[in-house]
Amino acid sequence: MSDDRFEQFLRREARGYHEPPAVPREEMWRAIADERRAGRRPTRRPTWIYWGAGIAAALVIGVGIGRYSAPGEDTVTLAAAGPAETARTSATQVAFRLTAAQHLARVEVFLIGFRTDTRSGAPGAGTAPDARSLLATTRVLIDSPAAEDVMLRQLLEDIELVLSQIASYAGGSDSTELDFIDESLDQRSVLFRLRTATDAGPAGTMTQGVL
Amino acid sequence: MDDRELIARVRDGDPGAERLLYDQHVDRVYRLAYRMTGDDDLARDCTQETFIRAFERLDQFRGEAALGTWIQAIAGTVVLNGLRKVKRFRTREVELDESLAHGGSPRAPEPDLKEQLERAIDDLPDKYRMVFVMHDVEGYTHEEIGSALGMPVGTSKAQLFRARARLRDALSEFAEEWAS
Repeated sequence: MSDDRFEQFLRREARGYHEPPAVPREEMWRAIADERRAGRRPTRRPTWIYWGAGIAAALVIGVGIGRYSAPGEDTVTLAAAGPAETARTSATQVAFRLTAAQHLARVEVFLIGFRTDTRSGAPGAGTAPDARSLLATTRVLIDSPAAEDVMLRQLLEDIELVLSQIASYAGGSDSTELDFIDESLDQRSVLFRLRTATDAGPAGTMTQGVL
Repeated sequence: MDDRELIARVRDGDPGAERLLYDQHVDRVYRLAYRMTGDDDLARDCTQETFIRAFERLDQFRGEAALGTWIQAIAGTVVLNGLRKVKRFRTREVELDESLAHGGSPRAPEPDLKEQLERAIDDLPDKYRMVFVMHDVEGYTHEEIGSALGMPVGTSKAQLFRARARLRDALSEFAEEWAS
């Protein structure tokens, strides 16, 4: 039988597939009104996103200044032996690690929110800009002394991948993209590793590294 | 009232405009949700969730597509996500039933063509089924499907082609019946 005839058959017979009853407009409208009255409000961008943007900017400036003003090789050799320089290097690393720990906590909150949103429907339109903001900070941290810690670097790189997927997610329409993001989160155990990292807290970070 | 004016009034908190927006689009959303879920409660849940999200996110609607397409896109995501949850639940339910049955049930009669067609459509992967239902059952164009599901028109056509091919395979034993 030809494709055309099969298509005709399908169109004719498939009309009866899950034939909808009359649309219960009033009941659904009441339920929608009740739900909205019960307190669901438009999602607002959390304030930590602005803090994140601020930290990213500070890091960019800090890394830039550090590179520009870094002493030459000879000076490093001479100064490296001095206790003052050692203390300064250590303080810088602690500062970067603290910043990294705060950033990881924000990424964790964002990813948990993202996953919850996708499982209960589509993520909000503000998701991609938020991911881009976090992505910028992540990339700065990858280039910073914080990433000298190998495990932290690996985590930041995995976060970078997931955030870049979310940042490029077109928004609410193609669930295949969401499946890929979900897979990346699962395969790399990103949330578990983030939780482990953030559970260590800033004190642990200062003394033992973020992870 | 055109979409732009309607949206502006909804954003200003006009309850009449909210209701008008709902009335204009609810039938299409509910019909698609019902076709995909085959269940009134689920279809209602999906429809309600779609409009709650639409009202919540109307500020983010930039007008790049028609309002109906945008709402349909939300509906598509809500329905597919809802189906995933239900499928997980039903899989557990079936496993439990099977463990209780111990093979004592009598053999079901052979299904007729109509039943077989329904089963074959049910068995399609959800994304193919969505495209098939939208195009062949509800009469959407490929352009509408592409916009609503966030895929190129070519992908919509390809998925419809694959869906039909699978249905044809599934119904091969009834070839004489459908040919008549």
